[in-house]
Amino acid sequence: MNNTTKRAYVLYAFLLAFLVGLGAMFYAFYVHGGEWTSNVVNRHIYKNGTIASAGAVYDRNKQALVYSRDGKRIYNSDPTVRKATLHAVGDTSSFIATGVQHVYNASLSGYDFVNGVYNLKKYNRGNDIYLTLDAEVCKTAYKAMNGRKGTIGVYNYKTGELVCMVSTPSYDPENKPKNMDSSDKYTGVYLNRFLSGLYTPGSTFKIVTAISALENIPDIYSREFSCNGSYSTGDGKVICNGVHGKVDFEEALNHSCNSAFAVIANELGSAKLTATASELGFNTREKIGEINLVKSRFNVSSASKTDLGWAGIGQYTTLVNPCHMLTILGGIANGGTVVKPYFVKSMVSPSGEVTELGRTETSKTVVISPENAEKMKKLLRSNVKNYYSDSRFPGLEMCGKTGTAQLDTGESHSWFVGFSAKESTPYAVVCVVENSGSGLAAAGPIVNTVMQKICG
Amino acid sequence: MAQEALNKKFNWGLMMIFVSVFQLITFTAPILADGFNIELFGVFAGYMAIEWLYFIIAAAAFKQNNFELEVIAFLFSGIGLTISASVYADFALKQLISIILGLFTFIVLLAVLRRTDVVMKLRMPVAFAAVGLLVLNLALAKYNNGALNWITLAGGRISIQPSEIVKLAFIFVGAASLDKLQSTKSIFKYLVFSIGCVGALFLMRDFGTALIFFFTFVIIAFMRSGDIRTIALVCVAAALGAMMIIYFRPTVASRFSTYRHVWEHINDTGMQQTRTLIYSSSGGLLGLGIGNGKLRDVFASTTDLIFGIVCEEWGMLTAFMIVIAYAFILIYAVKTARTTRSAFYAIATCAAAGLLLFQTSLNIFGVTDILPLTGVTLPFISRGGSSMICSWGLFAFIKSADIRTYPMLSKTILPDHPLYPPDVRVGRRSRRPLTPPPVDEPPKKKRTDKKPQSTRQTSRDIPVGKKSTGSAKKSPVKTAPGQSPRDIPISRKKTDGRAKR
Repeated sequence: MNNTTKRAYVLYAFLLAFLVGLGAMFYAFYVHGGEWTSNVVNRHIYKNGTIASAGAVYDRNKQALVYSRDGKRIYNSDPTVRKATLHAVGDTSSFIATGVQHVYNASLSGYDFVNGVYNLKKYNRGNDIYLTLDAEVCKTAYKAMNGRKGTIGVYNYKTGELVCMVSTPSYDPENKPKNMDSSDKYTGVYLNRFLSGLYTPGSTFKIVTAISALENIPDIYSREFSCNGSYSTGDGKVICNGVHGKVDFEEALNHSCNSAFAVIANELGSAKLTATASELGFNTREKIGEINLVKSRFNVSSASKTDLGWAGIGQYTTLVNPCHMLTILGGIANGGTVVKPYFVKSMVSPSGEVTELGRTETSKTVVISPENAEKMKKLLRSNVKNYYSDSRFPGLEMCGKTGTAQLDTGESHSWFVGFSAKESTPYAVVCVVENSGSGLAAAGPIVNTVMQKICG
Repeated sequence: MAQEALNKKFNWGLMMIFVSVFQLITFTAPILADGFNIELFGVFAGYMAIEWLYFIIAAAAFKQNNFELEVIAFLFSGIGLTISASVYADFALKQLISIILGLFTFIVLLAVLRRTDVVMKLRMPVAFAAVGLLVLNLALAKYNNGALNWITLAGGRISIQPSEIVKLAFIFVGAASLDKLQSTKSIFKYLVFSIGCVGALFLMRDFGTALIFFFTFVIIAFMRSGDIRTIALVCVAAALGAMMIIYFRPTVASRFSTYRHVWEHINDTGMQQTRTLIYSSSGGLLGLGIGNGKLRDVFASTTDLIFGIVCEEWGMLTAFMIVIAYAFILIYAVKTARTTRSAFYAIATCAAAGLLLFQTSLNIFGVTDILPLTGVTLPFISRGGSSMICSWGLFAFIKSADIRTYPMLSKTILPDHPLYPPDVRVGRRSRRPLTPPPVDEPPKKKRTDKKPQSTRQTSRDIPVGKKSTGSAKKSPVKTAPGQSPRDIPISRKKTDGRAKR
């Protein structure tokens, strides 16, 4: 009898297993609750797969980009603003995976672990979210893109606030076009090219090669490169965009001389170039707020000399994310203090309680030494002053680099990356226009229009 | 004496009032959901009347002073009734009838379990009836939601799940046959019975219930034999068998393919789990309020997914308290098992409490994708008559092991019993020094004394309960009132757990 009852203590082992399971269950609810609640099938928030009730999203001037009224989601009254801010705000069916309405859905619905979505049911509205974007600037940028595909992003490199983030093609969420899935005009329409796009960087990558040269070749400024229109590595040729004759390091960057940079890349070798690329955040995952960026890729592990030459001028297999490129430029502009861009600023509950969602943060993935940042800043300023001309960017004291990324098929992508060196207008910019040829001709005017709108 | 005072002080009447207040608040929600629903009002008023009727009769007429399990059962049945009524108002009356049937089962089973001699006689008939019921089920059942575990009667108006009733028989037979003789023959008989039950459930494709039966079998077998190696062997054999079934029957394997992949099957096989997770977290710790949930619209919301409804509408805190109550019931059962009159009660209470917690685990972890979904019910809370009857029946097993349940029998505690001197607090052995009561004559030798009746008439017989030892001393030769000669005295010495015959 005693033995029998003592054996009952074995049940405590089962009890322990039960408690472990219970702990795992409530832990999962605690950790994943917000994510699960935001699922499109949750009928507290969504109706027929689209967001019905949730908080509003405002731009930096408290202009409502989207809000809910009577169980309906209503976007800004201006159709161009709707299109320009669509990728930042996100659609109501979570097709745009980086949109605030998808990523911050738990905040918008007012979810918290203690109350669930009770506040949403009670007040019929969740938390409001404030962005750092300026809807009017985005509208200007969207118009300047003029129907071409691409992206433009502008941020304050001292605070990290993104003022402009536009990805095209876009569509009007209030009048969704019917032919979106079939028409070429809307290829990749749900992709925010600024956060999730990957482009061949073309000559803008010379900034990375130049930084590596500054780090590793002490006498780089006294070097002289001769360009006769191409550079033979022994196993192939790197073609240049012109015949530049004898150029020094600064002139090579001014003219974007491929021959010179192919020589530099080969002198550095794949190990050193990869090391610099890694310091600058290539091949590394990064997030802005809760939103995942796609990681830029640089891999020359199996490259021939010619391949390495091409890689040094931003061709080969190298791919860059525009937001990442903007961060590098911001780091150069800010003298080596790399500030991460962000655009989701704060969350305000129905009772007025403010929660900070984004703040000025230095990047942990992009590292530039202050000396090299200063040198690069001078070189990039020289590009605009001596070569592109300040008349293209009046009153901005612009520094920058163009890029014309050649593709296997079709017209090249146009790049412009740069920043205003003026103390009063600390803005860095990245602009990619797909299949539009020369970087300066296509991207340059768009950058100027947007920068004038912000700084003017 | 302080212990006794503490034990007596617990005011079950007050506890019942608390339960009633809770129920008055929660019952108003479905009653007033669409204006005043007079029918639901009647159902809830009837339910509260039954609760109080039971309490008053048991406390006043039968001098019962422990109501832990009844209070829990009333509370949980009330929560289940509220949810069923608020989702399907038409089912409220049916659910109330289920609760009444459950309470009736509880009372009848308690009366039967009081008499171990009757239990022994009923053992074989119950075993045959149980197997017969399952065979009948297999013969009659129609295909129903992937399993064949339902019998439909009266033109579809009543459907019963025999396996729920057989759960009670399984424990009844298991505890009784293994209690009596540890002979190979007895164990073999029980093994055949167990294989019959589990096999029938496999044929019905009710794997959740089959697993529950297997788990219960392991508890009972281990409690009796204490042989870890044999039990491990049985478990390994079962696991191998299960693996072979999964290997040779891909249709079975596909049932479990959703496990840990529910979000990839959000609108088909993972629908129930994902909806439970989504709406449970939508409810938060405090819940959205009765009737404000959305999980109620999902298929099988008031049976399999009712845990999610509790989380969403009543809050995860309430849900946590419900499931943790089952954990405490298991602790209670293990503790009471230490002080039972016979090994039969110890095995029955542990098996019943283990079964309850195991079924609870399968239900709540199944719908939250911590374990594969097996579609078993949450005891007392889920809608359904068979499940309700089974839950109440299991509580009867647990309650029967508590020595306070049959106070008249407890009066026969002898000085050689570990519980002597009587202290009716559960699971607590008295730490008071064992001072033998004054003796007029030397105690009789226990071994020669086969007849309980004569044992009881010695002066060492100290009654338990309201009567003081003083009054007992005055009439040492009298049998305690209400005591029948067939009642079995409590003595553990040298009996090694077998009930005296």
